[in-house]
Amino acid sequence: MVCRSNGRCQDTQPVSARVVEAYIGEYASGKSEMAINRALELKSQGRQVTLVDLDTVEPFYTLRPLKEFLEQQGLTVIGLSKPDSFGLGETGAMLAPAARWALRREGDVIFDVGYGVYGARTLNLVEDAESSAELRVIAVINYSRPMTGSKARIIEYIKELGRVDALVANTHLGDETTLEIIEEGTRIIIECAEEMGIPVDYIAVDKKFSGKWNPDLFPVPVKWITRYMPAAMW
Amino acid sequence: MLKVVEETKKAFLTGNETIAWAALAAGADIMFGYPITPQNEVMHYWTRLAPKYGRDFLQTEDEISAGFTVCGAVQAGKKAFTATAGPGNVLMQEPFGMAEAMRLPIFAVIQQRGGPSSGTVVYSQQEVALTTYGGNGEGFRIVYSTATHQEIYDYTIKGFNVAWKYRWPTFLLGDGYQAKMREPLEMYDPEERGIKLEPTYPLVGLPGKIGEDREPQHLCNIYSLEEELYDVVTRLAAEYEKIVPELIEWQEHSCEDADIIILTHGIVSRAADDAVKALRAQGIKAGYFRPITLRPYPAQQLREAIAKSGAKKLLIAESSYGQFERLTKQEIYGETIKIETLYMPGVGIVDYDIINKVKSVL
Amino acid sequence: MITPAIPKSWYLPSKPHKFCPGCGHGIVLKALGEVIDELEIQDKTVFGCDIGCSLLSWNFFACDSTQTHHGRTTPVMVGIKRARPELITIGYMGDGGGYSIGSQHLLNSAVRNEKVTLILVNNTNYGMTGGQMAPTTLPGQKTETTPYGRDPEKTGYPTKGPEFLAELTPEGAYIARATVSKYKQLKRFLKNALRNQMEGNGFSFVEVLSTCPTNWRTNAQQTWHFLEEEMEPVFPVGELKSPFGKGGDK
Repeated sequence: MVCRSNGRCQDTQPVSARVVEAYIGEYASGKSEMAINRALELKSQGRQVTLVDLDTVEPFYTLRPLKEFLEQQGLTVIGLSKPDSFGLGETGAMLAPAARWALRREGDVIFDVGYGVYGARTLNLVEDAESSAELRVIAVINYSRPMTGSKARIIEYIKELGRVDALVANTHLGDETTLEIIEEGTRIIIECAEEMGIPVDYIAVDKKFSGKWNPDLFPVPVKWITRYMPAAMW
Repeated sequence: MLKVVEETKKAFLTGNETIAWAALAAGADIMFGYPITPQNEVMHYWTRLAPKYGRDFLQTEDEISAGFTVCGAVQAGKKAFTATAGPGNVLMQEPFGMAEAMRLPIFAVIQQRGGPSSGTVVYSQQEVALTTYGGNGEGFRIVYSTATHQEIYDYTIKGFNVAWKYRWPTFLLGDGYQAKMREPLEMYDPEERGIKLEPTYPLVGLPGKIGEDREPQHLCNIYSLEEELYDVVTRLAAEYEKIVPELIEWQEHSCEDADIIILTHGIVSRAADDAVKALRAQGIKAGYFRPITLRPYPAQQLREAIAKSGAKKLLIAESSYGQFERLTKQEIYGETIKIETLYMPGVGIVDYDIINKVKSVL
Repeated sequence: MITPAIPKSWYLPSKPHKFCPGCGHGIVLKALGEVIDELEIQDKTVFGCDIGCSLLSWNFFACDSTQTHHGRTTPVMVGIKRARPELITIGYMGDGGGYSIGSQHLLNSAVRNEKVTLILVNNTNYGMTGGQMAPTTLPGQKTETTPYGRDPEKTGYPTKGPEFLAELTPEGAYIARATVSKYKQLKRFLKNALRNQMEGNGFSFVEVLSTCPTNWRTNAQQTWHFLEEEMEPVFPVGELKSPFGKGGDK
């Protein structure tokens, strides 16, 4: 999806046989949340979905506690479970060997990638990532995060990340989120996207706001998000 | 110089990141650190942000060195700090002791992890004894035990100020949950809030010509005679005790008519707060008391809360095996209130853990 | 210029100093005092001393001075230098403090090419605690903890600090070994080590072979003999690394 300054958006992606997306971005920007929601969404459409934990920076703070739950939902989850990681938490730099070959699996593949520039580079560890025509690298932006808390900072941040094929506007303030906060953040993120010529795939809005949020406010589709992270974050 | 916080607004942060931002806002000049979970992102964010604001960083060869480089930098008159956890906190007791002895205004963040030894890498409250009374000294330290990200921000700024105002080593005692958790808080420029940032001054490298403008500084840290050291420690103790009333901070509510007072610190006090509200809703008269400063300890205030409530029981809940209880007992020696304990070393405590315990002892 | 008998940068109220008769520290500190005077850096020097006999130098100079912990002088000096690069920092330590308990600091500060000057006095034993084996104790040498002589099979060979530091440091570092038996050379090396810091070239280190008659239990003649005939063959004196080149230090 590309949104032009006249507010019109269009699909530019060819309809792919499968969905391959990698969620990157700032620490605590919502990468894991987006990856889980996206994977479950695809699963609910009857598709085969593999969710890959590529977060070598903070592996067991995000996907790991949810692994069992996600598998019960029918996802294939590649990542280390708690017993696998016993005693290795200190360094955090660990990768489930299967993650390296994830792109050679059948069906959709969703990557939850570690934070920041060094996090984004973990994609280099995945075979075929560079040559894959299917892979889309999606940066999740939360305007309430200080490192991406202004237009200038967002643009600087995205430039540092390297390859970014699309953005997700995921502005929220946890329990203190308001419609105004989402609206202001989304507006700024869309402005940045236009300036950089990067499409915004969707606006992520907590499903508790459905019915309250005006989906026509911006010319970008809305995805209603279930927040799983509070369950993972103790 | 680029402004750190351009406008006061709510932001969504992790605890470690909050420390880096708050240290910038507090005017910290340099951080020295050595990697250890769960404080790593303090360094990650500091190293990302510091150059943008003309601040500095050095990754040292170990925590001993990190602590001593901080001691050196503050002697040179710069606002310096470090962050560590667990075994790193053990190694840093040596420089922390030097800071006590020489009145060096160091600021250190301790993100408690599980112990003994390397333990676990995320959560516990098992560094209470080490942080308050560690080292071969007398505990002349100031220790803030925070519970929310807003407090992490506020007390990081305050920690630098208190360190430089009173010249005692000052600690922010957090834990891995607070380090990694995300929640909203208000970031602000302290000076716009009317919080004056304490000026720094050097102990060495002073201006002026030696012998003409000034005498050379000779900073002493070791003494030949027992009597000399006795005088020094006695003086330090008197100076520390004098400022105790100015430093003590605590929170309490619902104690007036309480049958049981729940005593917690740090992040566990959030569960205690929820538990007290839930118990009250069920008609159980529970009270809430929480020291914010573990050193110095709000002993008088706790005694008064016990006295005015007439409570029969005090429930101490902690993610350690009695460290907080021992600290409390020594401070309220002589009180006859029955003490119940909920020890959950190295694991989190939620409201119903406390509720169940209260119901089992009432 | 006539060199005064007492360097200007010495702190007179602390004299006479407290080192044992025949101890080499006084010679090192006299040379250092003269160099501080000649370089005119007294007012911007911060002198830090370790624990051990080197501690007795804590108020030796009319320079800002600070005591540290055993082995920790190096990181304290690094902290001061990082915080205030305009200051001249001199860390003063013994062989135990530098090569044993503080070796990780010495090694890593060298690798990082920290712009500090470190002076390490090698007298082959822990003097202040009563003469135990040090990393620099010679094979066969008797100390309180090697009463039958140091056995390299059990306790290794003497640490050769300047040699390993010269390997570790990048260009710009200054690494030398001097001896109290060659005063002019000692002074020259100390001066180079301080010039190197003043010019911001890099890490500067001088090991000084020194004497400890109290713990060696030697008379004057035996003391000098041990230094020149026993120590110097094991610890060769000279500049191992210098940005000033041969003869550039005159």
